[in-house]
Amino acid sequence: MPKILIPTPLRQFADKRDTVEVSGATVGEALAALTTAHPDMKKNLFNDEGKLRSFVNVYLNDEDIRFLEKDKTAVGAGDTISIVPSIAGGR
Amino acid sequence: MIKIEQEAWDLMVAHARKTYPNECCGAMLGPIDGGTKTVRVALPLENAYPGAQRERYELRPEDLLYAEREARKNGMDLIGIFHSHPDCDAYFSKTDLENSCPWYSFVVLSIQKGQFHHANSWLPNMEQTEAAQEELEHPNA
Ligand SMILES: [Zn+2]
Repeated sequence: MPKILIPTPLRQFADKRDTVEVSGATVGEALAALTTAHPDMKKNLFNDEGKLRSFVNVYLNDEDIRFLEKDKTAVGAGDTISIVPSIAGGR
Repeated sequence: MIKIEQEAWDLMVAHARKTYPNECCGAMLGPIDGGTKTVRVALPLENAYPGAQRERYELRPEDLLYAEREARKNGMDLIGIFHSHPDCDAYFSKTDLENSCPWYSFVVLSIQKGQFHHANSWLPNMEQTEAAQEELEHPNA
């Protein structure tokens, strides 16, 4: 099963675990499995329309899924999905 | 509250002074114990903003992925992000808010005429509409 690495501030919504194994053949299915198992995770990752929030990037191993096949990107047993924030700013 | 240890703090201030008059940015790692976050390690990261870096910064997600991995490797947590405001105060600007992530503390260092002046820490909300000020302890306070 693919693994999802949980950023520290979100572990409180995942039984304090830093890694969650989920089923799913695509990144979208894996994230859906995560938020089904841990519903409080959902509002942190997705907006009301069910889209990933603007500050959330998802990586499959070392690749941003936006440059792969987005939520349709295939995942396998040895794969690691990371949730990476998107951060910028100014003055 | 967030506490920044001496070594991490020195690195953050040095990074901010070195990049002056441009904005700097980086990640802060350390343990979280109840309500207290302790910054033990600062990771200066490259400002990847393609335009005028005197007024903007941008972190590459790849660099944040690296920061997250470094934290895990060392049994720590990624707890915050820092950036500098050259020649202006350490407020949380509209641009900061609109490009923030509610999971982290955002430490802003005001650098005036190339020297450290003051710093504040901010906690933006999920909707990116406001940021609460967080109690900040650092060696130059
Ligand atoms: Zn700023």
